[in-house]
Amino acid sequence: MPESPRRSLRLGVAGPVGTGKSSLIATVCRTLASELSLGVVTNDIYTDEDARFLRSAGVLAEDRIRAVETGACPHTAIRDDVTPNLIAVEALEADYALDVVLVESGGDNLTATFSPALVDAQLFVLDVAGGGDVARKGGPGIARADLLVVNKTDLGPYVGVDVAQMVVDATAARDGRPVLALSRTDAASVAALADWVRSVLAARRAGTHTPVDPGPMAPHTHADGADHAHDHSRAHAH
Amino acid sequence: MVAEVVVLMLADARLPTGGHTQSAGLEAAVRAGLDVPGVAAYARDRLRTVVRVEAGTAVVARHLALAGTDPLAVVPHWAARTPSRALRDVAGRTGRGYVRLAERIWPDVVGLLPRDSETPRPVVLGVIGAVTGLSAGQVARLTAYDDAQTVVAASLKLLPVDPADAAGWLVGLQPDIEACVTAVADLVAPDAIPACGAPLVDSFAQQHVTERMRLFHA
Repeated sequence: MPESPRRSLRLGVAGPVGTGKSSLIATVCRTLASELSLGVVTNDIYTDEDARFLRSAGVLAEDRIRAVETGACPHTAIRDDVTPNLIAVEALEADYALDVVLVESGGDNLTATFSPALVDAQLFVLDVAGGGDVARKGGPGIARADLLVVNKTDLGPYVGVDVAQMVVDATAARDGRPVLALSRTDAASVAALADWVRSVLAARRAGTHTPVDPGPMAPHTHADGADHAHDHSRAHAH
Repeated sequence: MVAEVVVLMLADARLPTGGHTQSAGLEAAVRAGLDVPGVAAYARDRLRTVVRVEAGTAVVARHLALAGTDPLAVVPHWAARTPSRALRDVAGRTGRGYVRLAERIWPDVVGLLPRDSETPRPVVLGVIGAVTGLSAGQVARLTAYDDAQTVVAASLKLLPVDPADAAGWLVGLQPDIEACVTAVADLVAPDAIPACGAPLVDSFAQQHVTERMRLFHA
């Protein structure tokens, strides 16, 4: 199918409940709304809690933030059946000339990652308050999301977590993929997050970005439109 | 493709059409006070009223498509029998999910219906039935079964229900599903579509769209 000229960069934000996905999206919007045209689709368990948070943050026009119901199936909504989310994303793209649409997963468990049928790239969000050992638990999002965010680093001293060690553990779990230690009170980390979004957008526009499925084996689409199944370059069990 | 397999696919919640977001109005009914003992009766009441409108619309849309006439001609007849704006919007949004999938797996459907449009779900189901060789009875039974199963499955998310009890309700609803099939399977004319409403279903649907804490789209 030919890609619509209005097609945006679709960016997924996944991670467990309470790790700061909505807050991260608000931070991205606050930082980039003056230079990029943005939209947000939320998938909260109860429809519009996250959408209301983002609207009340006042970082985007209300109509650019849309809530999609998931029937208490947040995992299904971003992976097995992305239909309602795709329709919402396309409706936003049709209504506004958007550079980036951020799709926020309803908080689920460590196995929930976005299908490449829905997003071009995805962030997986952990937070230090969830425990320093979470990064070592692994899972597709931690290991293979395009960016792993270790959020709320400012809370480290209060929850007894060695943030530097958590980042080291996370990096070790990711085979060289990027990890960002983020705090919304740390301007340098916020700038690094914004730079990452800009870099993915630039790569997608240049046709050099390849959507990668962090989950189990599944065909995915390259920037050149070619479908293929993963080759099994690494041994693993089925 | 064997028609029976098409029916099985369409009746399977794993088919990616967004079915997991639907409760056939049960969430709003529960909020209005419906409890576990009322779930099967709620599904039965739907099969005797609003589902006959849906199933009749699907059967007539299938007939129009097979007759070489525009299946969208049935839309105003369906809309006149669906007074809730909220329910018409939901039918359009869910219909869009089916059209989107059909474009990939049953592309003849988009020769008969506009792409990326909010064509009401029963019209889309009827047209899918026409291009995949389903009988009128299969289209009607699919519509009726899917509605009952949507209610029953959503009850597991909304109320303290034993899943095996829920499956038992579905078995118990079979005579009502067949009665719905019998009532609409022979229809060919849009004006013959049953016009049997359930005012509370419309009222609940209108309330649901303004509700903040929703699990389900409708």
